[in-house]
Amino acid sequence: MNRQARKAALRFLFTPIVDRLGYKFTPVEEDADFLLEQEAELEAQTGIPYCPCQARTKDRAENMKIVCPCIPFHRAHYDAMRRCWCGLFVHKDVTDPDKLKQIPESKIGK
Amino acid sequence: MFIKAAEEKEIAPGGMKAFVLDGHELVLCNYGGTFYAVERACGHAKARLERGALTGWILTCPLHYAQFDIRTGEALSGPAPKAPDNKHPNPSDPALSTKGLKTWPVKAEGGFIYIDLQ
Repeated sequence: MNRQARKAALRFLFTPIVDRLGYKFTPVEEDADFLLEQEAELEAQTGIPYCPCQARTKDRAENMKIVCPCIPFHRAHYDAMRRCWCGLFVHKDVTDPDKLKQIPESKIGK
Repeated sequence: MFIKAAEEKEIAPGGMKAFVLDGHELVLCNYGGTFYAVERACGHAKARLERGALTGWILTCPLHYAQFDIRTGEALSGPAPKAPDNKHPNPSDPALSTKGLKTWPVKAEGGFIYIDLQ
């Protein structure tokens, strides 16, 4: 499979989904391309485009919650950070993603 | 040589329709008003692709969800792997993987769609 073509397809398929959730692809193109590359690699290995920044477990139901775009399964957490965990997606009004930080879910609201 | 295959109005944008033309089984796809012709059978398990889903230019096989670019015929992803505890063979076994689809030139003229099968 052509990796560049798959990345373009993932971008095409994800865009309308995250748009309805209030998110967009990170405007840092280098980051977006790198993260999509990792997802495409995971998909080639497993058949599923998992989030490249979250660990899988032996529990398939839990693993389904980190299939990209995983925003619906972590909505409160990501809305608080204004980005998804790996940073592939950011809130629509974000212009400088470098100012956003990863915050562990356990520390949200504290 | 272009052969008349269908009327444009038979296939709405985002739609697909299967045809047999001169012995070739193919699927005509309408992506945003532009028509593309690809072979009908997925290279994995010969599923009929017009029964799948067309999302923009991405055609998803109805059987194991392999995806193809209808503009080039290129396989974008292979069959999805089997779920745990499934007794059937693993569709994503490399020995069973899919291949790109054959494509044919298409032109729309005067409300009709023509395909060059050469």
